[in-house]
Amino acid sequence: MNGFNADGFNADGFNAARLLEHKAGVAGAAILAVAALVAVVAPLLIPADALDVTRVTDPPWQAPGAGHWLGTDHTGRSIALLMVQGAGTSLFVGLTAAVLAVAIGALVGVVSGHFGGLLAGALLRVTDFFLVLPALVLAIALSTVLPRGLSTIVLAIGLTSWPSTARVVRAQTLTIEARPFVERARALGGGHGHVIARHVMPSVVPLVLVNATLAVASAIVAESTLAFLGLGDPTRISWGALLHQAQLHGAVPQRAWWFLLPPGAAIVVVVLAFTLVGRALEAVVTPKR
Amino acid sequence: MKNTGLELRNLTVHYGHKRVVNDVSLALAPGQTLGLAGESGSGKSTVAMSVLRLLPKSARVDGEILLDGDDVRAMSWGRLRAVRWASASIVFQGAMHSLNPVRRVGDQIAEPMRLHNTPGSVTELLSQVELPEDKARAYPHELSGGQRQRVMIAMALACGPRLVIADEPTTALDVVVQAQVLGLVKRLVAEQDLGLLMISHDLSVLAETCDDLAVMHRGELVERGGTREVIANPRHPHTAALAAAFPVIGDPNHRLAGPGESTRGAFVLQERTEGPRVPSAAEPLLQVRDLRVDYGRTRAVDGVDLTIGHGEIVALVGQSGSGKTTLARTIMGLRNPSSGRVIFDGREVPRKGRALKAFRRQVQLVLQDPASALNPRHKVIDAVAEGLRVHGLPGDEESLVTAAVERAELRPASEYLQSLPHELSGGQQQRVVIAGALVLQPRLLVADEPVASLDASVRGEIVALLLRLRRELGLASLIITHDLGLAWQIADRVAVMHQGKIVEQGSVEQVLLDPTHDYTRALVRAVPQV
Repeated sequence: MNGFNADGFNADGFNAARLLEHKAGVAGAAILAVAALVAVVAPLLIPADALDVTRVTDPPWQAPGAGHWLGTDHTGRSIALLMVQGAGTSLFVGLTAAVLAVAIGALVGVVSGHFGGLLAGALLRVTDFFLVLPALVLAIALSTVLPRGLSTIVLAIGLTSWPSTARVVRAQTLTIEARPFVERARALGGGHGHVIARHVMPSVVPLVLVNATLAVASAIVAESTLAFLGLGDPTRISWGALLHQAQLHGAVPQRAWWFLLPPGAAIVVVVLAFTLVGRALEAVVTPKR
Repeated sequence: MKNTGLELRNLTVHYGHKRVVNDVSLALAPGQTLGLAGESGSGKSTVAMSVLRLLPKSARVDGEILLDGDDVRAMSWGRLRAVRWASASIVFQGAMHSLNPVRRVGDQIAEPMRLHNTPGSVTELLSQVELPEDKARAYPHELSGGQRQRVMIAMALACGPRLVIADEPTTALDVVVQAQVLGLVKRLVAEQDLGLLMISHDLSVLAETCDDLAVMHRGELVERGGTREVIANPRHPHTAALAAAFPVIGDPNHRLAGPGESTRGAFVLQERTEGPRVPSAAEPLLQVRDLRVDYGRTRAVDGVDLTIGHGEIVALVGQSGSGKTTLARTIMGLRNPSSGRVIFDGREVPRKGRALKAFRRQVQLVLQDPASALNPRHKVIDAVAEGLRVHGLPGDEESLVTAAVERAELRPASEYLQSLPHELSGGQQQRVVIAGALVLQPRLLVADEPVASLDASVRGEIVALLLRLRRELGLASLIITHDLGLAWQIADRVAVMHQGKIVEQGSVEQVLLDPTHDYTRALVRAVPQV
């Protein structure tokens, strides 16, 4: 009778109350809520003039002070406003790329775990191929070849970071498929669709959720890296793009630390927050024993 | 050191507020053999583990546990280490999990000797348990279940203990292997004048090895006396229930499928496939013709002919690995045969597509372990309704489910529908599985060891339920089991399977009381008799 959570989950499924017991996870969620709020609300309040290079009137390379909390960049734009504006892009790319990656990973994992045979063999070889390929190099190659734009970055990150999810989901699918209740479902007349929808998916979904949260963190880092290397969407401001600008226009020789530090810190804090939430979800979803 | 054996005085064990052992007093003189019987949760294993202070820290132990006059509870850590294995040792349940898979068994047998600096040789121990000495170099997975259990026994004897505690040593084994292991234990105990405390839920196993018997029920010792006397004249109702659950083959009182019942609507077909078959007015429900199933190069099922009539209960018996489970899976269409035919109700069983799905409505499966046969996330109502939803059957789902659940004797159904499987007992879970099969109104039930994982008292109820379903619904069953007692209780006919072939089949009385094939004789002989 104690075997009920042998598949790695509580019988009641996801338990939100237990998440609240993880203080670090709650803190992470709070940070994310603030970041999301800023990303959604702030662009509506910022006057277009403030971010237009041709219309700003303030002097460039101004240190943080009363006028500009975080100083100005090489064109005289406020770093604080740029940061707020960039939050949206970073979060959006991180989230959509992670969703794309996890969706591909879950699909490949469930299909290869459930059907087995030649199809699984082929899918696994493809997974292995992407797993051993240095993801960043592949992403750089993809974003160089494809036309510049936000969707290119999402695609480049999403297409390179799904294999680990696929492996985990496949493993979980295999353990579920081996359980007698799946055999019972087959004996009842249930086909592939029934087994996947009623038995495999409910136990894979919590795992996928955890993976997705952790994937967002790495996707944001990947986006920042691509943007820093100058492969981002040139028409949009993101934290990685700010770092790229700072490096390009000589923030280091200017000793303009206020240009480099805020975007870097923002990336670290948001990535940390996603990781904390992901770990807390993981702890809730997997039993301690 | 005094050698006074084991004495428990007013032993009480709590886990938190839950009392699992209540005021148990027992004495076991050196050289005495005592069987401790009880269902799961009766506290029998807790008693055994308390002897060597092996209970988890959360357990609170009161009373006295005297091992050769010393209280185990008060021993220092060093003294306890010296006593463990040297004075008393344990043969654990499930040799598969108690052996380290990455070390050679010889090293594992030598481990206690090394820890205690006792002289002795692994070779000698292996010969005592009748294993060839080159098995010392084997890894656990290279040994059969019976051989592993012998290794566990050799390990328990390594330091020359005066007392051996055996916790369900034969539960996972086949009848034939079980008989061998029990014979071995009996011989060793007699030769070396050991004290033996044997724990089992199976009275016949204890009757085979122990002079005395103690019965536990809900943490209390309810009966103690000479084995034969206790079994013959049980004073406590629980002992009577335990004794009744293990039927005596040949005793008409234990035959639940009465002779009047077995002929009702049932066909007793003795004829084989040879010669032109005279088409009978009513075809048998299921015919298996010369069926072969291969796993790669291994032939699991080798030319099997089997017939099940309408409303007939056929028991398929055999050791594990004899191919009986594969045969059942093939009949259900869960596995494709290499050759041969399965004919259900006059038509060949389809191998794929809609036709197969429709066929699966007619034949339902009941698995051995109900706890794992139910998805832990699905409520009872969802588990039972699963078949209805798969086949998209019309009608009010809730009333159909309620009817099936009540047929499986979970009354009132409304109390159970919203429960999750882990909230139910093993017997209730098995009823849910049966209800899930009944809801599709099948004509044949294939039950794979339907009572093997259930407690003695529940076992009888499930057997009675299967018989009642046959009486009321005309439901035929194929019961796969290694338990000849179950076959005697419930079946009309028995088919004996050995190495993929059916070596003997016929009526229960004929096969079990007057077996003609050597293998059947060996099987019948191996059943421990109360």
